[in-house]
Amino acid sequence: MSDLELTVAANDTDRPKLTLGHRLWSAVLPIALAVLLLGFAAVDRGVLSPANLLNIAQQTSYLALFAMAQTVVILTRGFDLALGPTVSMVSVGSALAMAGATASGHGAVAVLLAGLGAGFALGIACGLFNGVVVALLGVNPFVATLGSYNIAIGIATTLSSGRPVQGVPAPFSQIFYSGSIFGVPAAIAITFAVGVGLHLLLARTVFGRSLYLIGTNPRAAAVAGLPVKRILVATYVLCSGLAALGAIMMTARTGSGEPNLGGALSLQAIAGAVVGGTSLAGGRGGVGTAVLGALFITILSNGMNLTRIDGYVQMVVLGAIVIIGVLLDRLRQERRQ
Amino acid sequence: MNTALVAAAPRGLVSLRSIAGRIGLLPALLVLLVAGMSAVDAQFYGIINVLNILRNASLLAIVACGQALVIIAGGFDLSVGAVVALASVVTAKTMAATAAAFPGSNVLIIASGVAAGLGCGVAVGLVNGFCVARLRVSGFVVTLGTMSATAGVGLMITNGIPVYGMPEIFVKGFGRAQAFGLPTAAHVALIVILVMVFAQRRTLFGRYVYAIGGNVDAAVVSGVTIQRHIVGTYVVSSVLAALTGILLTAQVGSGQASFGGDRMMLQSIAAAVIGGVSLRGGVGRIEIVAISALFLTILGNALNLLHVDSRLQPVFLGVIMVAAVALDELSRRSKPRV
Repeated sequence: MSDLELTVAANDTDRPKLTLGHRLWSAVLPIALAVLLLGFAAVDRGVLSPANLLNIAQQTSYLALFAMAQTVVILTRGFDLALGPTVSMVSVGSALAMAGATASGHGAVAVLLAGLGAGFALGIACGLFNGVVVALLGVNPFVATLGSYNIAIGIATTLSSGRPVQGVPAPFSQIFYSGSIFGVPAAIAITFAVGVGLHLLLARTVFGRSLYLIGTNPRAAAVAGLPVKRILVATYVLCSGLAALGAIMMTARTGSGEPNLGGALSLQAIAGAVVGGTSLAGGRGGVGTAVLGALFITILSNGMNLTRIDGYVQMVVLGAIVIIGVLLDRLRQERRQ
Repeated sequence: MNTALVAAAPRGLVSLRSIAGRIGLLPALLVLLVAGMSAVDAQFYGIINVLNILRNASLLAIVACGQALVIIAGGFDLSVGAVVALASVVTAKTMAATAAAFPGSNVLIIASGVAAGLGCGVAVGLVNGFCVARLRVSGFVVTLGTMSATAGVGLMITNGIPVYGMPEIFVKGFGRAQAFGLPTAAHVALIVILVMVFAQRRTLFGRYVYAIGGNVDAAVVSGVTIQRHIVGTYVVSSVLAALTGILLTAQVGSGQASFGGDRMMLQSIAAAVIGGVSLRGGVGRIEIVAISALFLTILGNALNLLHVDSRLQPVFLGVIMVAAVALDELSRRSKPRV
């Protein structure tokens, strides 16, 4: 048993024994972030303006949420390619439910509950499907979620006939987008709360620690008596549930249910997680890496937009950044050993 | 006899059996689909529809063959769709430029265009292979990165506008031509499949790819030069994707950055996986992948002819993919481990 604890403990990102050089290596990404921000600011002062910083924080909060969702499954050596289509499906589903409830003359609270209920039900259903196929049928996560990717796209476009779904009530947008809590915009507040909760879940609960063990050594996890299959199913449900929350926030922002809302989100979320230092080999990463990666990608694209770098060039830069980020992380790990 | 059987399936008798099961299943499904559709709709076996199916299946099969090779070696190639697009616009641009410089010399124009297109494939494949084999970054992340970069370059060159100015003979005499009743793409696909099947079974490269995907450590100990062969698989995959881009360009008559894309990438992986290529590496045969590409194309065509809402069609693809792999996993599990 103590062996297992050691395996888990060894995966904590910051051990006290690290030397200064090691510490510098693990600070590569935050330093790169600061350099990036200052570099863009040198070209355009507007980058560091309070309005733009708030804008960056707000944009980051969506991607960070999705990167966190993705991180949860990546920790167990999984993947969720279906995250983007899940977002589209939830967006369409919750908008339809709210439009329907409004049309049948229900009160504002009932309409909101209908939207949330439909959205989370769809998200959780998607997560259950992924989890059951991966954990119980033993299908590779890539194929399983590529399958549900297609299924969710099909459902989202069929439900909506491929058009945006109108009828999202104003209170819904108010709560999840334009409102604020103690002066903090809703999206940032929600992501912050979820991040804190998820961090506690991953770092302080048996469920959270077992995700790290499953990712580091699935056999050890099974031998230790963990209900690996049940945990995996719960992991995928958690991932899709977080995606559903993000979808609801994005639907509140656009004010309609969009069948294309998820678009490139699956890969962006994976890129965010991975750039932040989450290992695709499993067992390494957390809320911090997800937020850091999301922040990095958002600042990069925000800065490139403000400095008027061509959108197509941005795609090339992002591609290169993903590879370099992972390469740096691998070098950092090797230094550490 | 027994050794020959084992040699045909590097993972031993268990996977041989499961592959044998798959060979029986997939063509049976294919025949069933074709027979059923022929009975339901006479349009299905009309010459126009058959040519249409063959053309699309050939393009998919070429990309899927490369994808299968990479997966067998234990990798992934997400960049194939973007390479199709890049090769298409580069080929068209080069032909237009050469035509402006040397008007009339069609051989030179076409040769330069095709060379430039395939060159793009080689370049992307080398970058992928270098990052995976040398820098040891995971194939998924590398090709995710090059997918974004390659698509970006393709759009950058064209600003998203179709590129014209190719010689007429390239479009009419090659892309839209038919020989022995078959479209050009089908001939090219047949040649590619035959060469790939031969390479897989009879060349060291093919056998090493199985060895690397099956058990890297064992391959290293046996003296296989891992890096070179992994680079090789990514280059083959990208070059085949580039070839598809050139064929599409010749068929449509313009170079477009919207060719290929995510759809082609996902379909190529689906074709490989449904064709029995294991994502664990080391298992899979090109000829079955080609049949599976044909199956997927006919399925899409059948759904269209049956007037199934095109928006609902991805659901079928998703369910079939998951079911195919789940069946394989379950059959693997029900047999004792070797």
